[in-house]
Formats: sequence, structure tokens, C-alpha cells
Amino acid sequence: MEALPLTEPVLLILLSLAGQPRHGYSILKDVERMSDGRVVLSTGTLYGALRRLLDDDWIERFEEEESSRGRQAYRLTPHGRRNLQLEVDRMKHLTRLASLRVAARER
Amino acid sequence: MITVYQHLLRLYPAEHRRQFADEMLSVFEDVRSDLNHKGAIAPIAFFIREITGLIHGALREHLRAVFGAHAGVSISTRRFTMRNEFRFPKSTAVLMMIILAGIVLALEKARTIQTSFSDGNPVVPMEAAHLTFFPTLALLLVIFYAAGLVGWAILFALRRSGVHRLAKMSGEPK
Repeated sequence: MEALPLTEPVLLILLSLAGQPRHGYSILKDVERMSDGRVVLSTGTLYGALRRLLDDDWIERFEEEESSRGRQAYRLTPHGRRNLQLEVDRMKHLTRLASLRVAARER
Repeated sequence: MITVYQHLLRLYPAEHRRQFADEMLSVFEDVRSDLNHKGAIAPIAFFIREITGLIHGALREHLRAVFGAHAGVSISTRRFTMRNEFRFPKSTAVLMMIILAGIVLALEKARTIQTSFSDGNPVVPMEAAHLTFFPTLALLLVIFYAAGLVGWAILFALRRSGVHRLAKMSGEPK
């Protein structure tokens, strides 16, 4: 299983799939858009991450019905969505803690 | 560009290629066609990123093929996958490798100097020194490394490594 905390690229890939199923190119573009162009994945990095997420059952692969090219698309599994939620909660807790500590220091 | 990409895809294990190669190539072509009107620099940067990504990805997939799905370098942590609180002391291993490389370079340099002054100096058989020196050095490195690991494991078991205290640092300030 992917250990928490996740790297930024993996987190962005999961967030990209949280809204809707996507194919590889769409994930690549969405990750770039979400990060304001800061995270630009290569196909090697993208498919390495997708492969691990598939192996760990965080995402699943299916053939897009609407596509004329018969492209493979990816979507979150319930297990993946649960783990993504855990990671988001962990980050929320961390940012809340960081805000409190920084605010305490500034007082 | 596509031909080079297709050749580089062959670096991946066959099973990975079977599952993903067509898809990767299709995404590569889509992204490349996006860059047609973005000047000369963007396609070059894209191609460099793709080549390094493919080589790195292929290496990682081979490691997975050899050591299993969860061995090797994990993408999530970029560390050797072990228990979260017990991380492989990578910096020590790197330092030891640097020291070893330094010793090898020094030996090579000594051999060069010895060759250039061979007439006026007593003959020292460097090959013999090589034969005994490297296995001894390798053995010593392994022994010291094993000793370090055992020491760390004992400290960890006795909860004296400090890692457990780090794990408890989740409470909010009062």
C-alpha cells in the first residue's frame, strides 16, 4: 500500500481522479493546471505512479465507452478514496497545528 | 522524437510494456502535438523531461520486478520502504561510497606515480596490494555497517533512538 504521507505528484494524481474518471493525458493536464504549472509530470512518472496505485488498489482502470480510440481511463476505488480522505485529514491537522504554532510564536 | 521514445520504452520490463506502452506513447503524442506552436524551447524541455522520466521509470520498474511490489524506492516517500519510523540511513551509505571512491582514486594515483618513478624506487607490488586491500576494505565496510545497524536497532528497541518522541509530536499547543 502507498504509505502516507504521499508525494505531491501522487497526491495531485489522486485529487485529479477524485472529481471524475480521467485518462492519462487528462490527468497530466489536470495536475499541471492544479499546481499552476509547477508540477509537470513526464509520462514515465505518471505511469509509474498509476501502476503503483493500481497494484495497491487505490485506483482502477477501465475502457472509456465514449472514446473512439478505446482509451483506458482511471478512477478512484472506494479504498483509494478513503485513503485520500485520510491524507487530506492529516494535512488539515498539520496545517492547523502549523498555524497555531506560528501564531503563538508571533504573539 | 517518437522513434526515440519508442526505443526508450523497450527499457521497461515486458509486463509493464504490455500494459502501458501503447497508452504512454499515445499520451506522449498528445502532449507533443500541444507543443507545436510553443516555440523551440518548450519541445526541447519536454523531450529532456520525457527521456529522464522514462529512464528513471524503467529503472524503478526493474527494481520492482526484482525485489517485488513494495521493495525498492517508494514514490510516496522517496525512501527505501521500511517501517515509517525506521528509515534506512541512506546518507551513511552514500558517505561510505564516497570514501571508498576516494580510496580507489588515491590508489590509482599512487600506481601512476609509482610507474613514473619505477627506476629509483623499490618495487612494491601494487597488484598484490589491490588483491588484499579491496576484499578487506569491503569486509570492514560490511562489518561496520552491520554493527551500526545492530546498534541502531538496539537503541530503537530500547526506545532510546529519539524516533518514538518524534512520533508523539502531534498534539496541539496548550
